[in-house]
Amino acid sequence: MLKTIIKREILEYLKSAKFLIGLGITLALAAGSTVINVQDYKGRLQDYQSAMQEMKSDSFYIHLYRPPQVLSTLIQGKDRTLGNSITITYMGIPPRTSGYMGEGRSQHQRLVSGFAAFDFAFVVRVVLSLMVVFIAYNAVSEEKFSGTLKMILSNRVPRDQLLLGKLLGGWFVILGSLAVAALMSLILVLSHSFIAFGPGEWARLLIFIGLSALYLTVFYGLSLFVSVLVDRPAAALMILLQAWVFLIVIYPNLGVIAAENLFKLPSQEQLEQQKAAALQPYEAEYKKVMEAFVQGVRKGEVSKELGLRSEEFAALRADVTHKVDEEYDRKLTAQTKLARAISSLSPAALFDQAAVQYGRTGMAQYESFMREVYRCWQQDVERSKLIYTDREAFKRAPALAFRVPVESTADAFAATWLDWLLLAFLALAFFALAYTAFLKKDVR
Amino acid sequence: MKTIIRKELLDHLRSVQFAVLLAATLVLFAVNGFVFVQQYSHLNSDYRLHVTEVEQHPSTTGTFLYRSPSPLLFMAEGGEKNGPTGYDLRPKQALAAMPAGPRNFKMPEIPDLDWAFIIKIVFSLYVILLGFEAVSGEKERGTLRLMLSNPVGRLRLLTGKYLAIILSAAIALLVGLIISLIIVAVFFPAVLSLPNLTRVAFLFVLALAYLSLFAFLSLFFSALITRSSLVLLVLLAFWIFFAFFIPDTSGIIAQEFSKVPSEYEMAKLVGPTIQKEVWDRINKLQDRIKKGELKTEKDIREEADLAYEEGQDRVRKLYADYDNAVQQRADLAQIISRVSPVALFQYSAEDIGGTGPAADARFLQDVRDFSRIYDDYILKRMGKVVGTSPWNFAISVPLNGKPIFLQSPYPQEYQGDKSDFPRFSETKATLLDGLMSGLWDIAGLLLWNIILAGLAFSAFIRADVR
Repeated sequence: MLKTIIKREILEYLKSAKFLIGLGITLALAAGSTVINVQDYKGRLQDYQSAMQEMKSDSFYIHLYRPPQVLSTLIQGKDRTLGNSITITYMGIPPRTSGYMGEGRSQHQRLVSGFAAFDFAFVVRVVLSLMVVFIAYNAVSEEKFSGTLKMILSNRVPRDQLLLGKLLGGWFVILGSLAVAALMSLILVLSHSFIAFGPGEWARLLIFIGLSALYLTVFYGLSLFVSVLVDRPAAALMILLQAWVFLIVIYPNLGVIAAENLFKLPSQEQLEQQKAAALQPYEAEYKKVMEAFVQGVRKGEVSKELGLRSEEFAALRADVTHKVDEEYDRKLTAQTKLARAISSLSPAALFDQAAVQYGRTGMAQYESFMREVYRCWQQDVERSKLIYTDREAFKRAPALAFRVPVESTADAFAATWLDWLLLAFLALAFFALAYTAFLKKDVR
Repeated sequence: MKTIIRKELLDHLRSVQFAVLLAATLVLFAVNGFVFVQQYSHLNSDYRLHVTEVEQHPSTTGTFLYRSPSPLLFMAEGGEKNGPTGYDLRPKQALAAMPAGPRNFKMPEIPDLDWAFIIKIVFSLYVILLGFEAVSGEKERGTLRLMLSNPVGRLRLLTGKYLAIILSAAIALLVGLIISLIIVAVFFPAVLSLPNLTRVAFLFVLALAYLSLFAFLSLFFSALITRSSLVLLVLLAFWIFFAFFIPDTSGIIAQEFSKVPSEYEMAKLVGPTIQKEVWDRINKLQDRIKKGELKTEKDIREEADLAYEEGQDRVRKLYADYDNAVQQRADLAQIISRVSPVALFQYSAEDIGGTGPAADARFLQDVRDFSRIYDDYILKRMGKVVGTSPWNFAISVPLNGKPIFLQSPYPQEYQGDKSDFPRFSETKATLLDGLMSGLWDIAGLLLWNIILAGLAFSAFIRADVR
């Protein structure tokens, strides 16, 4: 029985113009954005590889590069907007990455600012969710409107079976569309020789598609619920579209604005003052050492102790400044988390923040990069001491180790379990509501 | 005609979508007002603080030129948040943009909730929602036949429907604008000056011209396609394509098409150029001293300064060329995005509000003009203009067995009276300037209107109304 209903539903959908048009639009936008993003990734990858080859660190300037993420071709996140390079010395660590031209000179922000990412994740978040609304808005209301609901229920079909059948039929169509769009984008990505997925990427991608399915299921549940509740299909569609606009376009933005106003960040001046205050205790001693050091250089003789002392002081100042920057960075994270928390009523925001985690294009990957930068700096400080203690050893010293730990898929999952849980809760809640509303429904 | 408009308008005003539109308008414009008030008072106090600081400490080694925040940010923010708050000016017209205040780069990128955004995204969508059923809905219900059996021309009927959509949107928009303006006026009454209100009026008209094209688009598909839900689906596809796809991908597409070297390629050029243009020249000095071409200490110092200055000029030029190329790429991105009427509206709204790239360019021009005045002042006071350098050198060269210590030159502070230090003032674009620079965008919007109106009317006249 159930099978018959499901089969009938699926066939109905596949024949319908709205499905064909929706799928066509989805595929066109997914293909367009993927092709563009792959080309962009190619350029960034070439730059990164050439930089690693040709702009190597010397004994003073340590150039560290952030590789572009291969999954940014599908889930762009912040991969393009965060800079790809950072240059440290034992005397200083910049607070964040910049473009290849370095701090102050870099223009990488200029082109990308103001343009949001249009990628496969966007297609799922906006286009496919819209298609779901269109598929499901009249699942029940249309049958009631046209009077067929009565007839179906006059057969020996229990209501719960009918709803389950309708539900599964539509759901399979949605998952099928998602699968087709994902497969097409994936083929477009993988047909390029410079792109290779490791097992980690495959796992992440599969989980991401699962996440997309869950996200679309939430909208599906919501649409069914409204469809049961509202008798006129046109009215149901209107209500759903308003909800869609609110949940996807308006609410997440209001969350960010609210967080920015509720959680104030210190100004640039305050930050400078904090740094000055943190450096204050060492300032007198530092001046003395540096004066002696400059005198020594002029005379052409710097004692081992003096050299070491000046190096240690420079490193200490860098570390103290870095601590203030880190404190500020934590505030940025806290503000972002607040915005996330406020926005988490919106399935779109939940989907978004989990998606970038799987694409390695969110802040998690960036932060582990920056932590590794700090570890690299610590090594550099130790190595630079050799300049004054053992010059030969300094020259022979191996290159600094710099390995950004790759987040395991399990860790990514652990970081996003709450998003999964909330999405699953929303999906179940909407289905339960749709179910009970349907059982109580007056079918005449 | 009047009857049609009245009937349609009443239908709209009673509809769910209008109620929601009105609610959304109230919330969004109120948030817009409050956010702007916060932002503006912050920006303004920062600006005043900085300017007084500069005025109290005139310097011949370098100065800061700050940009006054636009009081019309609430209309069209125009990327001002990301743009420079001013320029760090050093002698020899060396300019470095000062980044905007600390922004949380970890936050999800969200568009600014200015009027332009609310109109271009939210209102355009609601115009679609108000208009998609105009023909197809009546056809589905069978009322279209009935209506046309009366002595009402098709042209008139469609015009009436069109005007009713525009009027409904205009009512909601007007309510929103007034709310936003009241909030702003409570905190900054000065913002509501006559010139600013004129700009508001122009933006309102522009917004209607923009929304009108979506009304025509809706009517066109509504007359073309029989089923209302399909009409809506197609319209929403257009909306996503215009409002998101084109503007969001134009940056990347411009990158593909422009011949600008990537930032990495540029970075790779810089190192060798500095080596060739600056350090090699300095090193050559030592050879020339050895050969005996430079005999006195004065000659050596002069040659060193000259070599260093010339070399630096080359590097500065390299940077300037790159900056120009990046600017051109940004311009190209804008041109590409103009395929979308949403972008046309955004840019012309920025022009009317006096913000956006045109205002950035104007400010930069003012800064460049001032940099020449600044150099003249230094020349008059100090006798020569010495540029600041990001690279320092300090070498000691032997001359006749005696070491001479050579150092990169750096600008000196004038110790005398600096009461005639030149004052920087920026010129703000007038509304007329804005309209002139936005002329093509506005013309583009009108063209969209004409084309879509033609399509809508011809589709409706040919439509089978049974």
